This record gives sequence, C-alpha cells and structure tokens, in this order.
Amino acid sequence: MTRSRLPIIAAIAFLAASTSVAQAADKMALVVSTLNNPFFVDLSNGAKAKAKELGYDLIVLDSENDPSKELSNVEDALSQSVKALLLNPVDSDAARAAVRAAARQHVPVLTLDRTAKGVMVASHIASDNVAGGKLAGALIVERLGGKGNVVELQGLPGTDPTRDRSLGFRQAIGAAPGIKLVATQPANFDRTQGLNVMENILQAHPDIDAVFAANDEMALGAIKAIGRTGRHVVVVGFDGTPDGIAAVKSGALSGTIAQQPALIGSLGVETADKVIKAQQVPASIPVPLKTITRE
Amino acid sequence: MTVLSRFLSQNKSLIGLIALIVAVSLASPNFLKLENLLNVLRQTSINAAIAMGATFVILTGGIDLSVGAILALAGAFAATLIAGGHGLASTMLLVLLAGVAIGAVSGLLVTYGAVQPFIATLVSMTVLRGIVLVFSNGTPIDSSGGDASAAFATIGDGYVLGLPIPVIIAAIVFAGCWVALTQTRFGRYVYAIGGNENVARLSGVNVTLVKISVYAVSGLLSALAGIILTARLESAQPTAGLGYELDAIAAVVVGGTSLAGGIGSMTGTLIGSLIIGVLSNALNLLDVSSYYQLITKGCVILLAVLVDRQARST
Amino acid sequence: MAIQPPISTKAILDLNGISKTFHGTKVLDRVDFAVASGQVMALLGENGAGKSTLMKIVTGIYEADAGGSIRLNGAEIRFNNPRQAMFAGIAMIHQDQNLVPGLSVAENLFLGREPLNSLRLIDHAALRAESRKYLDALRQAIDPAIRVSRLGVGQRQMVEIARALSLDARLIIMDEPTDGLSDVETEILFDSIRRLRDQGKGIVYISHRLGEIFKICNAVTVLRDGHAVASGHIAEFDEAKIVHHMVGHEIADKYPHSAAGDGVKRLRVAGLSAPGIQEISFEAGEGEVVGFTGLVGSGGTELGRALYGALPARAGSIELDGRPLSLRSPADGVRAGIAYLPEDRKTEGLIQIDSVEDNMSLTALRRFVSPFGLIAHRREDEAVAGYIKTFAIRTPDKDTVVATLSGGNQQKVALAKALMTNPKVLVLDEPTRGVDVGARREIYRLIDDFKGKGLTIILISSDMPELLGISDRIFVLSRGRLNGAFGRGEATQDAILQRAVA
Repeated sequence: MTRSRLPIIAAIAFLAASTSVAQAADKMALVVSTLNNPFFVDLSNGAKAKAKELGYDLIVLDSENDPSKELSNVEDALSQSVKALLLNPVDSDAARAAVRAAARQHVPVLTLDRTAKGVMVASHIASDNVAGGKLAGALIVERLGGKGNVVELQGLPGTDPTRDRSLGFRQAIGAAPGIKLVATQPANFDRTQGLNVMENILQAHPDIDAVFAANDEMALGAIKAIGRTGRHVVVVGFDGTPDGIAAVKSGALSGTIAQQPALIGSLGVETADKVIKAQQVPASIPVPLKTITRE
Repeated sequence: MTVLSRFLSQNKSLIGLIALIVAVSLASPNFLKLENLLNVLRQTSINAAIAMGATFVILTGGIDLSVGAILALAGAFAATLIAGGHGLASTMLLVLLAGVAIGAVSGLLVTYGAVQPFIATLVSMTVLRGIVLVFSNGTPIDSSGGDASAAFATIGDGYVLGLPIPVIIAAIVFAGCWVALTQTRFGRYVYAIGGNENVARLSGVNVTLVKISVYAVSGLLSALAGIILTARLESAQPTAGLGYELDAIAAVVVGGTSLAGGIGSMTGTLIGSLIIGVLSNALNLLDVSSYYQLITKGCVILLAVLVDRQARST
Repeated sequence: MAIQPPISTKAILDLNGISKTFHGTKVLDRVDFAVASGQVMALLGENGAGKSTLMKIVTGIYEADAGGSIRLNGAEIRFNNPRQAMFAGIAMIHQDQNLVPGLSVAENLFLGREPLNSLRLIDHAALRAESRKYLDALRQAIDPAIRVSRLGVGQRQMVEIARALSLDARLIIMDEPTDGLSDVETEILFDSIRRLRDQGKGIVYISHRLGEIFKICNAVTVLRDGHAVASGHIAEFDEAKIVHHMVGHEIADKYPHSAAGDGVKRLRVAGLSAPGIQEISFEAGEGEVVGFTGLVGSGGTELGRALYGALPARAGSIELDGRPLSLRSPADGVRAGIAYLPEDRKTEGLIQIDSVEDNMSLTALRRFVSPFGLIAHRREDEAVAGYIKTFAIRTPDKDTVVATLSGGNQQKVALAKALMTNPKVLVLDEPTRGVDVGARREIYRLIDDFKGKGLTIILISSDMPELLGISDRIFVLSRGRLNGAFGRGEATQDAILQRAVA
C-alpha cells in the first residue's frame, strides 16, 4: 500500500525539485522531537554529517517535546522551500497534521525513530526493536548456557518499543527450551520503578538467573535491587545510554543493546536524497542495533 | 477496647488495609516474609512522606501539584552537591531549605497572588520541571565520586536496628506531622481554614501565614522524598517523580481526607499510602499482567473510598 | 388549653395524629395540624419543638410513624420523596435558598422541566415568557434573563415563590422568610403573601418574629416538645399568650437589665472612617451596653468589623484604656482584648463541620498552649466544659458537630468562643438573629452578666425591643454616619426610626 503510492510522491517531489534552479545547495529540514536528550543530539549530528557529505543544507529545528511547537517548526521549514522533510515526531498521533501540511506543499516526508500514524510517508527509518529484543535474548541464552530462570522488565505498556522489544526477546528465549520466563512486569522505563519492581519480584522468585530490562534505566534500577541479595544475576539492558555503557564497563550490567542514533540520522538523509532524486526507496528501513558487552 | 474501637471508627480505611493484607497473604505466601514487608515499607516511605505534606495542604482546602517536580529538582540538587564533594549534613540542609522556599513561593502565589491553588501549583510544577531539565541537561546526575557519596547512599539502603533508614525517616515524619496536626495551634488552624476560611480569619487566625506554611511543609517533605529517592538510586533522574502528585493525592483521599478541606487525619494518610504500597507490591508478587495492573489499582482505590464513605454515613 | 378545631372546613392540608420517632425519641406526638384555603397559618414553637420535623413530613422528606393520617384536598396521601410532594402542589421556600446562582432567573424557575422546542432543545423564548407570567403575578419587575447571583435576598425569595406558583402549588411553606430582608423587601413579601391568600392558596408561615405574625397571619398553631399545644384564629392570641404557650411558663423579665457601671470610659472612638462608615465618634464605659441601630446597609456591621480589625480603618482612632490601637486584622483585635460576634453564624461565626470544642476554643487557643507549643488538651477540655455548663448549651457532648445544634445553642457556642479570650470589649452584631424565645432570654441574661463583670459591650441590632431593652445608651446610624444618640429611657421606637431615615 505504502509502496504503491511511493512513485507518485517521488514524482511530485521530482517535479518540485526540477522547477527550481539549483544554484545554492538544496535544503532539507530535520524537525527533531527534542535536543534535550543525547540520543536525539546524536541523531541530528549523524544527519548533519551526511547532509554535508551529500552537499545539502540541513536546517535542524527542535520541537521541545511539544506537538504544537513541532507543527509550527514544520510550517517554518516548509516556508523555506525545503526539498524533503525529516520528521522525528514528538507523538505518533499528533504528527499527522505536520505530515499533511508537508503533503499539501508536495514536500516528501521521512519519519525517523517514531512513526506518524494514519498518514503516508516516503519512508520510515528506525531501530529494529524486534531484532534488538532478539539480540538481548540471544545474549542471555548464551550467558546462561541455555538454562535458567529469567525475568522480563517491560517498558510503558501500550508503546511500540515496549511491544517490539518484548516480542523479539520472547522469540529468542522461546528457542531455548532450558530457559524459563518466571515473571514479566512493567516498570515504565523508569529507574525507580525498576528498583521497586525488581525488589518485589525477588521476594516471589529469589532463584532468578537473568533479567532483561527493556531500557537501561530499568536495568540500572534492577541492578540496585539485585545487589542487595548478593546473588550473581545476568542483567541485560537496552538503548546503550552513557550510564548504561558505564555500567557495562564496570561489569554491573552484562550487556546492553545499543541503538545507533547517528546511523538513523545519516540513513535518513541518505534516503531523503534518493527520494529527491526520484529513486525507489523501501517504505520502512530498519536500522540495525548492536550488542555492547565488556569484551 | 474503647480506645481501639474509637480509633477504628475514626480510621475506617484501616479496615480496607487489613482486608487487603489478608487477601494478599492468602494469595502469595511470600508477602508476609519479613524482608518483603520491609520492602513494602521502604517503597511506601517516599509516597508517604509526600502524602503527609499534601495532607496539610488538602486539609486547608488547597491542592499541591508541584510535589513531584520539587522531588525531581531536590534530587538533582542533592546529587550535584554530593558528587561535588559537599558534606552530607550541609547538602541535606541546603536541599531541604530549597524545598521550603519553593513551597513558600507557591503559598505566596495562593495567598498574596490570590491564584487558585490548582493553577498556582500547576505553574510551579511546570516551571520546576523545566528547571530540572535545564539543570540536568536531560540526563541522570550521578551522586557518586564525592566524599560523602557513600554516606549519602546509606540514606537510601542502610539499616538502623534492622529497619531500613527510609522507613525510619518516614516514621519520624509521621510522628512530627501527627503532633503538628493534632497537638499544636498550627494544626487546629489548618482544620479551621479548611472548614471555613472566613470564620477562621474572623476568629483571629493568621490565614495567610498558615496557608504559606502548609505549602512550605509540602515543599519540605517533597524535597526530603527527593533526597531519599536519589540516595536509593545513587542517581537523580530528570524525570523522577512524574505523576507522584496524583499518587500522593490518592493516598490522602483513600485515607479519608476530604478534598474540600477541613476533614481528615494524618493517620488516615499513613494508612492510605500503605494501601497503595501493599497493592503495588502484591501486583508484582502475583505477576499480574501490565494491562490489568492499572485496572486493579483503580478499582482498589475506588473500593477504599467507598468503604470510607459508607462507614462515615452510618 | 383545649385544641381548637380548624377555622375553615375547606382544608387543603389536614394532618391527624401525626407522630415521629427518631432513635426511640418521640419528636412529634399525635400532632393535629390543618391549613385551609385562604389561610396564612403561623407555625410557632421554640427550636426543637418539632416545627421543621412536621414540615419535613408534609414535604415528603421524612415519613411519619404509622397511625396518623395526612389528607391533601380531602384525599389521604403518603409521600415517599420531596418530588412527589412538589408535584402534588406543596412547595417549601427554604431558609437556605435552593437557587443556582450561576443560572438565570428563568432557568432556575424551570430547572429540570425546561420547555423544549421541536428539536428537543431548550425553547428560550417560551422559558422567558412563562417566567415573566409568574413574576408578573407577584408584581415583580425582575428580568427573567438576569443571573440569580445578581439578585438581592428579597428578590431571590420572590423567585422561589414564583417557582412554587409555576408548580401550581396550593400550599406554600415559608421558613423564616424575612431573615435578611430589608423593611421594604419585607413589605413586598407581605403584599405577595396577601395576594396568594386572596387567590385561595394555603400558607404556612414559620418565624421567630412574633411582630410579623400579627401583621400577616390569620391563624396560629403552637408546638411545644412535639405536641400541638394551641391552635386557633389570630384574634384569640396576643404576644404574651403565644410566648406562654411556646415556653410553657410566663416570662417575667424579658429583658434583664442591671444598672451600667460607674462611668469609667474605657473605649474611645474618634473620627473613625472605614468602607461603609464615616467619622464615627463615641465613648463606651466599663460595664456599659452601647447599642447601635439603623436601616439595612446603614453601617452597623461595618462599624463592628472596624472596631475588631476585620475592616481596615481609613481614618480616625480607637483607644482602649488610654492606649491607641492599630487594628489591621482580627488577630490584632483579639490581641488588643476585643471580641466579636459576627452577624451570620453560618458563614462567619462558626465552622459548621467542626465540633463544639474546636469552635469554642479557636480564637482563644493561644491560652491553652504549653511552653513546648503543644495544646494542653485537659485545660482546653475543662474550659469548654465550663462554658457549656454556665451557658446551659444543649449539646450531647463537646465533640458534637456544631451544625447539628439548634440556632440558639449555636449562638451560645459563638458567644462562648468570643468570651473565652477574656476580652475587655465585646462587639455583638445581631446576637439573637434566628434564635428562639427561650434561648434569646438566656443570651440577654448572659449579656447582663458580662456587663456586671465590667465588660464594655457594643450591641449592633435591628431588633428594636431588644435594643431598647438591654442598651444603656443608643446611637442611631444613617448612611454610615452617627445621626442621633439617646440615653436609656429617652429612646422610643418612633424616635429612633425618625433618626434612622433622616
């Protein structure tokens, strides 16, 4: 469905591009949900580097986690006649209006990291959370030698990363018959809740061997709870935040599945370039994650 | 016997707490283990401290939405000071004073500014959340590396006489709040203002001062909760305390305090926060799936409030 | 005295042998009560005599014990809820008004039964036209579109009566309808009542003001301790007779009055101006009751508040025992030794949801604090118990919620609260409003006692007999200024009124 529409959007974009004389460098805009978080700073840095390499002028606008700011950012970008819009939405539902505004001006939109619900975009570039979940599961299976009791700490219920990471993780451990999932509880991506929930789970299941936390924050909270018991437990986080990586280096965390925000930004610009040049691009581009361990 | 029956009649929510404990003990053999009970108390201590501050505010007929944001700011402040090599005592003093000052500003908005408490503290909450993000640059602040870091961490996970330190702090807070509310003029004035502010003023009560004080107390206890939370994690989270204002209000209301002001008790708030703490613990112990946890929580809060209402009307 | 049969045979409402028991206590005992078409029936009795219980049975809020009968227009009925009574043609005009302030007059009149147009939306034109009709019937020029919050107390009462008419009420019950009304408003109300009477409606009129009863009612029923002790045509009664029936014995000395103190002037007020009062100067002595009166809005309440610090003075001075006072808040007043009894018990005097004890000790709490800042509960309990005893406050115990007490007992709690601070000056604003005859006398006796103990008492009252009965001197206020002074014995009702309207 998305695929069948693509050539049309690409053709429109091509038309739009060919009507203007490309004297100065062509412009692209990146509207990013927040620059108050290192993840998105990395993402925009990756995009900037790639844009420079390909000879584009990249405008970066910060939505400050506010959907209405995002919409006005998009409008500002469109008024500067950009050739393509890279959108990292604050909220998947609220992004609809911004995408429509771009469509009215025939500017192709590519979403980064988070989707825009209910509208077509030229392409969506994001970490492959299912694959990341699988990596985490595989790491735990390997460390436990295929046998042991495992706990899963889930993120905020109802969000895409929570669902996808859990799905991948279960696929990986489901393939290892010796692994038993003894508890699955939400801790809402929050460090405090990771600590509290883990403390409580340890009361019901003192004999656990490994924990998968769907982000590093929860993993760091869980480590606190486990530290008191003195038991050796394999803990694997997700995201590869600076705190998470530090914990991996110190050995407290067995590993974390790192997203590659710079790669997301860079792939975004590369794909936008293809769209502007009216080349075929896939509707969804999964960005690989990598397992970070001490070794 | 008469003392007990009188206590029960004044604290109907205790019946709810006991019923909940019995039900959870039957469902999970792990619940009544000493270690788990200490966990419940430790986890409850933070919400309890905030809720006790909120009780003063709610008794005057006000509301404080800024408690979670004060907690986050106090945590960030404390972690920065500790990591920067400040001593434990001076850090705590500075952070608690900051909490009092921030609370007093909300109180000034409510009294001299004549802004409705909901709006005044909504403003405080929003601004403080922004300050936390600017201050922390959106990333967690590690409290380790300072001279007092180890001592600071003890506040979060240390024990005295077999009891976790956060629980001891919460117990002291409860004792202090209970005395202030039931044994001092300040407490009587808090009830009077919530009962009828106009009558209180005409009775010679310095309404402005009492109202500023309740927000200052709420700020103080939120900052204390921020210290405990940061010490437990040895790290201050910029998003810490999100939604804590509602947890605190829930504990206060479950404990039988009226949002209209003038009616309620500190003991009720203690029981209310324990009900919420026991419930969270039980949901984890019983491995209840995430989607059903919220439904269960809502239903238990409703049930507790209905039991209280029922008991009150008879 | 034998109970007289109802005057008219055309009874709208006829109660026979009505009893009501609460928790084993009989509050009504085989009461007969009837109201005929064209009758304005005064229902009298002290607080607690059973008036409101009886009316709550009539309006379906309570159910009577088995045994008696209620007939409406000859047919036996039994209401299960107030709505049924409303639609059967019985309307109650409440003391605590039942209007929604934020809605318009018309919206209030037809709340819950708004006329709808063909689209099932509210038909505003019809709503206003219908409202106009009923307000016209009362000769009221109130705009139906105006918000109720912008109306005065009297006009709100008219809206309530109009609502009763719109429900085609045949029996209208009015509970203390003149409370808070000015003289002019009272006259308008009386006009309306006469008109309703002439239209053949039956009216039950409950009031503590006996003067009004003789002006507007044509029949009387007196309740005492749950019994109907007297009933008959108004011509068969006079004030003394009614009081006799109400309290069960003769009241010998209605207004106790001892001679004023030796004339040492303690309170000197000079050129006092505040919002609502201008250039008030007077002196008041030890053991003296100085009365102030005037029309509604003439500045009595404002003067009381300014003397206490509740209203900031713009100019002038207040001296107590030779020391100038600077009063910027009630707290200053309390500290200076001034106590104040506000006009409105419910919104200014007492915290209705709090206990007798918490209310009584609120102002004087400072006295019961130990050096450690803690409240000495035993001392507080003893003081409260002492006042409950000496003031003969009828309350189950000190922890009873004050809202459940009768008006007279609440007023005594408020008075005790003021006196607990050991004041030198006591400012009383309408101390007996809404208080029944028996409690009223007790309050007068207390005031006379305080006077004997050397207190300077400032009495602000619109109750003329009371003012004349207990004041040593009387000042008349007119539009915020002093406009006349009388010594005890010089003053008459007419002379005062003349100065008040001048």
